[in-house]
Amino acid sequence: MSLAHETVASLRRRLAKKEIKSRDIVTDLLKEIDAREKTIHAYTQVDRESALKAADLADVSLPLGGIPIALKDNLNATGDPCTCSSKILEGYKAPYDATAVARLRQAGAVFLGRTNMDEFAMGSSTENSALGVTRNPWDSSRIPGGSSGGSAAAVAGRIALAALGSDTGGSIRQPAALCGCVGLKPTYGRISRYGLVAFASSLDQIGPLTRTVEDSALLLSSLAGHDPRDNTTDPRPPETFLSKPTNSVKGLKVGLPKEYFIPGMDGETEQAVRAAADWLQKNGAEIKEVSLPLTPSAIAVYYILATAEASANLARFDGVRYGRRAADPRDVLDLYQRTREEGFGPEVKRRIILGTFVLSAGYTDAYYRKAQKVRGLIRQDFEKAFQGCDLLLTPTSPEPAFKLGERTQDPLKMYLADVFTISVNLAGTCGISLPCGFTQSNLPIGLQLIGPRFGEEKMLQAAHTYEQSHDFWKRMPPL
Amino acid sequence: MSAPKLNVSDVATLARLALTKEETEKFTAQLGQVLAHMEALAKIPTENVPEVHPPDHPVLRKDVPSPSLPVEIALSNAPAQANDLIVVPKIVE
Repeated sequence: MSLAHETVASLRRRLAKKEIKSRDIVTDLLKEIDAREKTIHAYTQVDRESALKAADLADVSLPLGGIPIALKDNLNATGDPCTCSSKILEGYKAPYDATAVARLRQAGAVFLGRTNMDEFAMGSSTENSALGVTRNPWDSSRIPGGSSGGSAAAVAGRIALAALGSDTGGSIRQPAALCGCVGLKPTYGRISRYGLVAFASSLDQIGPLTRTVEDSALLLSSLAGHDPRDNTTDPRPPETFLSKPTNSVKGLKVGLPKEYFIPGMDGETEQAVRAAADWLQKNGAEIKEVSLPLTPSAIAVYYILATAEASANLARFDGVRYGRRAADPRDVLDLYQRTREEGFGPEVKRRIILGTFVLSAGYTDAYYRKAQKVRGLIRQDFEKAFQGCDLLLTPTSPEPAFKLGERTQDPLKMYLADVFTISVNLAGTCGISLPCGFTQSNLPIGLQLIGPRFGEEKMLQAAHTYEQSHDFWKRMPPL
Repeated sequence: MSAPKLNVSDVATLARLALTKEETEKFTAQLGQVLAHMEALAKIPTENVPEVHPPDHPVLRKDVPSPSLPVEIALSNAPAQANDLIVVPKIVE
């Protein structure tokens, strides 16, 4: 069997026993890439030579020694492009490592390539990439989800073992659900965002996409921890996650928020998620209904706050210091305006306009400040729910992967795809998506477990126990 | 709060974006729908609710100088440069 089909954990053990070399893993992955990347288009760049070279130098005694990992194309890695799948960053080469990248490097990881995404992480389908669409490995006429669609499709399509993504409103969990892999959005402040191209700084978090929960915990253990370069990171000392799997959910209190089982959601999705709750109950967990009453307002709150922050964060792309610059500008205003007109795609422009509007004089109180307050109430809803339970269980997405092109002309409908993931970012807690079934047409269905702030350990334990008692994660996409 | 008329061209000027006529028309219609969806927030009572500005711990670090990127590397991505400076259009007459 190709080593590309194994997990990070099993390859680590085999590397340690010297049964295989890191070069063997990279070589097998490159073979799979040659076979399937043309169809999936998960990568914006594959680092063939440098990955093989790094593999030969890898120290396999390190926690991720010799393990190839793909990076979402919004993470700076010295000397590599960092396109954010945007024309405005054409020609840019990162002058430094993001902290998450540096930590993987220190842990011995080998970088395999950079993955496609919605431009500046704005989207739920990866169709907003200026570098071409990514296709779902389970059905190439469907989207992989987004914005970390390249990372999810690469891991699910067996052309990466693990990848980093970023999650502002569901951009790790939703594509993981739609592609049938594991996507972890850690607590806000768990992983440094230094060197991640900022979208909405009060919501952004980096996290791993992997085939198993164990692999997710392995990557998180290397990535987490305080960074003086991102003071939003929490000062607590580093932890090793899932070092002693309990393989039990006995006594676990799991809440099912009633607002997450809504009329109009896909029937097969609801059935699969409810079956997962039943399984937990049969195995000793206590399941209870809880309420997160402000769930229906989360989309509006999110698209006010995220666009407001994005309009400020993306002001730096002005053609002055890096990236694309419009030719022969008349004056400095013309330079800014034409550079941004030529460099940004439609969704980014739409969000900059919306964000600028909700922050403009006369509208700040009605939109931005109001949304900040409702965000406070959403957070209180979660705190209340976690007083009575350890974890929440929900669908990750209200439906399986939709068809390419189906929603590109209807932004509001596209925004509603994030309805079950967005609140976790607004509340600053952690969430994980893992496979919990397949539709009759063989599309993956994702289950979301949500933990309280810094509650990753319990969440990973429960997710691991559920996953290892089922075979969903082992199923191979047809491509 | 009734949905205000969003003047996309004015906002685009504030955002330093030059939009085509087609983009302006399209965004006006699409963002009108999005703003209408946001109207529901007005009905949620939020008196005495504090705004949320994460994180919860203090974020200011000590003001200690530390090494930063060498000028050559920091300027390596500049579209136009001369004498260790970035070249931009004239802004003073």
